[in-house]
Amino acid sequence: MRCRDVEALWDELRGECQASLKETVHSHLRACPSCQGMYEQYEGVAYCLSTLPRPEPSCDLAKKVVTHIAAIKGRLYPPIVISAVTTPVGKLYIGLKCDRIAYVSLDTGEAPEEVLARVERRLHRRCVPGESPGWLLRALESFFNTWTVDDALIDISDLTPFEQEVLRAAASIPPGEVRSYAWVATQVGRPKAARAVGRVMARNPLPLLFPCHRVVDSSGDLHDYFYGLEMKARILEMEGYRG
Amino acid sequence: MHPPNSTPSVASFERIVDEYQRRLYGFALRMTGNREDAEEIVQDAFVRAYRALGKMSAEQRADLRLQPWLYTITLNVTRNRLRSKRPSNVALDALADPDAILRESHEGPAQPEAIVEQNTEIALVEQALLQLPMHLRAAATLRFIEGRSHPEIAEILNQPIGTVKSHVHRAVRILRRILGPQIGRFIPEGAPDHALS
Repeated sequence: MRCRDVEALWDELRGECQASLKETVHSHLRACPSCQGMYEQYEGVAYCLSTLPRPEPSCDLAKKVVTHIAAIKGRLYPPIVISAVTTPVGKLYIGLKCDRIAYVSLDTGEAPEEVLARVERRLHRRCVPGESPGWLLRALESFFNTWTVDDALIDISDLTPFEQEVLRAAASIPPGEVRSYAWVATQVGRPKAARAVGRVMARNPLPLLFPCHRVVDSSGDLHDYFYGLEMKARILEMEGYRG
Repeated sequence: MHPPNSTPSVASFERIVDEYQRRLYGFALRMTGNREDAEEIVQDAFVRAYRALGKMSAEQRADLRLQPWLYTITLNVTRNRLRSKRPSNVALDALADPDAILRESHEGPAQPEAIVEQNTEIALVEQALLQLPMHLRAAATLRFIEGRSHPEIAEILNQPIGTVKSHVHRAVRILRRILGPQIGRFIPEGAPDHALS
C-alpha cells in the first residue's frame, strides 16, 4: 500500500474499526519512518483538539431562549378563528387569520370539531372557534350583492405560489361568466397544466370568494364541484350565469 | 384536540434547549473563538429550530433526527454571522495553498477578537483551529472536539462521507503545519491513543 492510501485510513482508526484495517496501518507505520513521524503529529493534533476545554454557556442562556420563544409564539403562528355565518347559499364556516379571510367552507352537516380538524389539515395551523366580527358580516353581505371581494380581506399566503396564481386567475373571471380549466392554465402561463388547475380548484380553501365555480370543462359542462353540481349551478345562476 | 402540527409547547422545547445547549455552544465557540458570538449564535439557532418545528407536519417531526439537525442549524447561523462580520479571502487561499494560511497568520489578520483561554498552549491550538477555512474547521471540530462519527458529520454538513473524510484529513494536515514541531509539547506522557504500540 502506498503512503498516501494509508494516510487516508488514519482517521478510521479513531472509531471502532476492523482489526485487519488497524493491522494494515500499523504494519505500514512500523516499516515507514516518515509516515510514522507524520502519524504521531496527526495523533498530536487529534489529541490537542480533543482535550480543548469545554466552557459552559452562561447559566441564563436557556432562560433567554425560552423567554424569546414565549414572546414570539403568539405572533408566529396565530390560530385560525372559525365562525359560522348564515348567507344566501346557506351556512358558511369562515376561518380568519389575523383578521383576514383564510378559509371558507359551506356547511355540509359536519360537526364543528370536524370542520376545525379539516381546516387544520388543509392550512397546517391551529384552529379555534370564535365569533364573526362586524366587518366580516359586512364583507359577506357586500360579496353576495356584487359577487366580488376586496383582495385586502383575503389571506392565501399559506398556499403554494402555483395555487395562489391559479386562484387569482380564477378570480379574474367576471361574475356570471365561466371559463375552462385550460383557460386558467393559459392565464398562469402553463397552458398544458389544465389538470393541475383542476386539482387546485378541488382543494380551493376559499370557495365562492375565489370562484372555482366559474371554472368548467372546455365543452361548457359544469364538470364537478366539491359541494355538488347542483350547488355549482345554483351559485352560477345566483350571480347571473345563463348557460 | 391536538392538531397535527401545532407549535411545539414552550415547555417541551425547553427540554430540548436544556439537553443540547452545551454541545451547540461548544461547537459555536470553537467555530467563532468568541464567547459572546457563540451565545448569540446558539440562541438564534434555537429560535430558528423552534420556528421550523412549528412548520413541520407530524410525520416530518417524527422522522427528524434532532441532534444532527440542531448542529446543522447552528452551523448555518455561524456561517451567516461570520460571513457578514469579517469577510476574508483566507479560506479561498487555503484551498489552493495551505501555506497561505501560515503566511496570513504571520502577517496578522484573521485573529480572533477574544481568545477563549489564557493558557498559552491551549490558546495556540484554539488559534490554529480558527485559522482553518470554515468548512475544514467545521469538519475538524465535529470530528475531534465533538467526537462525531463520519456518517454523523456527513448528515450535519450535508456532504458525502468521502468529502467529510477528506475535509477532516485536510484540516489535520493544515493544523499539523501550523502547530508544527510544537505538537509534541502538548501531549503528556502516556496519553491514550498517542504512542504506537
